Amino acid sequence: MSETISTEAFQVLLDRAGISVKPEHMDEMRNAFMLLQAMRERVRKPRGYDAEPAHIFAPAGR
Amino acid sequence: MSAPLHFMTVAELAKGIAAKTVSPVELTKALIARVAALDGMTHAFIEVTADLALTQAKKAEGEVMAGIRRGKLHGVPVGLKDIIDLKGVRTTAHSHQLIDNWATDDAFVTQKLKAAGAVILGKLATHEFAMGGPSFDLPFPPARNPWNLAHFTGGSSSGSGAAVAAGFVPAALGTDTGGSIRLPAAFCGLVGMKPTYGLVSRRGVLPLSQSLDHIGPMTWTVEDNALLMKVLAGHDRLDPASADRPDPTPEALLGAGVKGLRVGYVPSLGTQAEATDEVKGAVASVATTLADLGAVVEEVTLPPLADFAACGMMILLSEAFAIHEPNIQARPERYGEILRDRLLLAGLIDASDYVPALRMRTELVAAVAKTMSRFDIIVCAATATPAPVITEIPKFGLFAKPPLTFPFNVTGMPSLTMCCGFSASGLPLSVQIAGHAFGEATIYRAARSYEAATAWRERRPALEAAAPMSLAAE
Repeated sequence: MSETISTEAFQVLLDRAGISVKPEHMDEMRNAFMLLQAMRERVRKPRGYDAEPAHIFAPAGR
Repeated sequence: MSAPLHFMTVAELAKGIAAKTVSPVELTKALIARVAALDGMTHAFIEVTADLALTQAKKAEGEVMAGIRRGKLHGVPVGLKDIIDLKGVRTTAHSHQLIDNWATDDAFVTQKLKAAGAVILGKLATHEFAMGGPSFDLPFPPARNPWNLAHFTGGSSSGSGAAVAAGFVPAALGTDTGGSIRLPAAFCGLVGMKPTYGLVSRRGVLPLSQSLDHIGPMTWTVEDNALLMKVLAGHDRLDPASADRPDPTPEALLGAGVKGLRVGYVPSLGTQAEATDEVKGAVASVATTLADLGAVVEEVTLPPLADFAACGMMILLSEAFAIHEPNIQARPERYGEILRDRLLLAGLIDASDYVPALRMRTELVAAVAKTMSRFDIIVCAATATPAPVITEIPKFGLFAKPPLTFPFNVTGMPSLTMCCGFSASGLPLSVQIAGHAFGEATIYRAARSYEAATAWRERRPALEAAAPMSLAAE
């Protein structure tokens, strides 16, 4: 994981998501994004067949 | 010497009401007066529903005098976190967004409480929409910890924690998506139970993250918590997650002791969960006490907290953003800064995060189930520290230091926190006890045994001592 994300790169992500951040919160949000990024990297790993998304039918009467 | 009326437990009140030595009307009036006198310091209540409460109390008293008993909550005052609907009263979520949101019906759990004859004393403070707080830019101030008013109650069921600890109500309902029942219970020295996912209906409760949301009771004692759970649990065909299960708290099992109970003791949930020496010592002493009482205690390791946190946060933030997206785009200024910025960050998560997180949850559930096959319950810390100072909670603290309660939201297993000591500064320390899905009774059984073997319930916050003279005199 990189240490930080540049203001320009972060702005691109915000624009793509249609999100506006107050300029005075920008640095704090960039730092928090790196914490989020670490979680994303932990989640985005290959998963087994037994963890595939599935539809499950409810029992009769539900 | 018996406790003053405002510090009597639900069980004690039930006994007094049944024996006609406690009047539900006088009890309700006394608690309303106590809130009026002292809640200016704790800010536990958003709204005291005094008229409704007195009407319900009079009805309960009339029924009791006529020999009609509806159970142990009959005539007992209870508070509701202000994301739980109470017909005819605002559900504000502690937010400007819903400042005029009048509930047109009762939540399923409110219906259950009313049917049991409980008296609804009011709506309690929360983190904004159960996610943003403690915040100082909302329509109501954040709740303060009755053990030390400079400190945090924990959240998001902050008012529920403060209200029970302060002796404003003997029981309150909270909700828990990452720890929001158990954290305020821990910081305020209470018993808080997040039941198994699906045991208690979520209908009529504002959602934060539907696949992680739970509703449960916060009380002073384990017995009281089980009494509440008996009333709250039950199948609701209008909640697709609702399970149809038998009584989760059979009384015969609750008093069975812990002899032979298999206890997995988790000394640490990994580097992200490093607790203070005070907390570690207090939790270790719980394992020792349970062993002394006859349980078979063995150290065990769970997957690291960082895994649960990453998985849980991706799911929570994604589902929360899906709920709030219209308002965050159209009316962002009506959120407090903390929730607004957390939601804005959540908007950067996409399907390539959410779907793998759901898959990761399946794997974590399987991993914990494998470990749990050797145990009846798991014991670990509830929080890494005692309650911090309320003005020192970082906006994105959840991201850097996730709550130790999060694993059991991800797995959906029941989990309870309870007091297991006090810090040198006089703040409560707490342990977490988790069990198998729908294994609430076994958790209560262990918790009740531990509670009976220790003296932590003898200590109460001295709120009156912190009151200005004008408040204390009222």
